[in-house]
Amino acid sequence: MSERALLDQLVDALRCLPGVGPKSAQRIAFHLLERDRAGGERLARVMAEAMTRIGRCERCRTLTERARCAICADPSRDTGLLCVVEQPSEVVAIEQATDFGGRYFVLGGRLSPLDGIGPAELGLDRLEALLAEGGVRELVLAISPTVEGGATAQYVAELAAAQGVAVTRIAQGVPLGGDLDALDSGTLALALAGRRAF
Amino acid sequence: MGASACHGFVLHRHDYRDTSLLVELFCVGRGRLPAVARGARRARAGGRAALLQPFQPLWLELGGRGEVRTLTRVEAVGRPYALAGRALLCGFYVNELLLRLLGREDPHDALLDDYQVALAALAAGGDLEPVLRRFELRLLDALGYGLALAVETATGRPVRATADYVFEPEQGLRAATATDDPRACCRGVTLLALAADAKPVDAEQRREARVLLRAMLAPHLGDRPLRTRALFQQWYGRRG
Ligand SMILES: [Zn+2]
Repeated sequence: MSERALLDQLVDALRCLPGVGPKSAQRIAFHLLERDRAGGERLARVMAEAMTRIGRCERCRTLTERARCAICADPSRDTGLLCVVEQPSEVVAIEQATDFGGRYFVLGGRLSPLDGIGPAELGLDRLEALLAEGGVRELVLAISPTVEGGATAQYVAELAAAQGVAVTRIAQGVPLGGDLDALDSGTLALALAGRRAF
Repeated sequence: MGASACHGFVLHRHDYRDTSLLVELFCVGRGRLPAVARGARRARAGGRAALLQPFQPLWLELGGRGEVRTLTRVEAVGRPYALAGRALLCGFYVNELLLRLLGREDPHDALLDDYQVALAALAAGGDLEPVLRRFELRLLDALGYGLALAVETATGRPVRATADYVFEPEQGLRAATATDDPRACCRGVTLLALAADAKPVDAEQRREARVLLRAMLAPHLGDRPLRTRALFQQWYGRRG
């Protein structure tokens, strides 16, 4: 009886994973129990450790188990260049796809006035303190081009301007491999407005 | 129930499940209603997430039944109202008022026109406060909470430009007395300007109009403070 209950608990717990419904949760549970106990045990161990030990970098607010993340602790990074992103996953994406050599600041979301997410919830007081320390010469806005992202970018830009820091924004436009006529009108308009010498 | 199409706006949106959006709409002939845009956040959703944003005039096709409809098609009707800075916060404020005060599926087409007029005025820049005051008055009228601002409510006596007045919930406008808090009072000249849809002439009139409309809205908003108002104070309060 109690074993049955534990299996149910496992299936139920697996459903917290994104994209995993009841059927997939059951499949994963049976797979681990029947075919890959070692994998399951390792997952449980690492999961438990990660959930308790991973916190936020005191400087840039990305996820790390140390007080400062590897990027903030790396002396070879350009401390004059600061890229502001919404999520820790975007730090990883930029690191993997580009040779951006500066540092980051992770907001953890964007200003959402109607949901009560304001500057305090995004750690913007911390960003302001960071900029006040000096040393940052360019702040790069890498915030999603939504209405709320626009409000966020504007707030951050005002903070930076008040500290005399130059502000840039990543380009917006046509995705690689995309067809122009399949593009939404807003993106197309931005792409055209942001044209540059060829 | 088959699909039906209408013009409208997104007032607010949330991520829903892994790839979908839950949007709160304000539509012609329908009023405010929630809908799900399935798969809108997928990379190949053809820009639906880009379109389903506040301040973008839309053509929407809604299917399904029940409380939450399914958005089957969406197209842009012209460009979004380009709001930035204070105007953008004002836009969020207007949307919050609509979300808080409009009941679901209660059509308000005239108010939707007023909403577009307000967005256009906010986007045009310039003086934002009179735009908000006008919209607040239209909203109260549309909801049946409106008030004739050129007369004392109980007596019907015409408001005099040189006298002071006070708004009382459920009673309306009355002449101020010596015991009234002067900061809660509104000069007749301000009431007459609001009634005539005229722009405020000075800072004091602006303040009075703001205090008056806040008092008129308060009973309908209940105890929960407006979140956009708090953000406005956080944003501009400390930097002037
Ligand atoms: Zn860090």
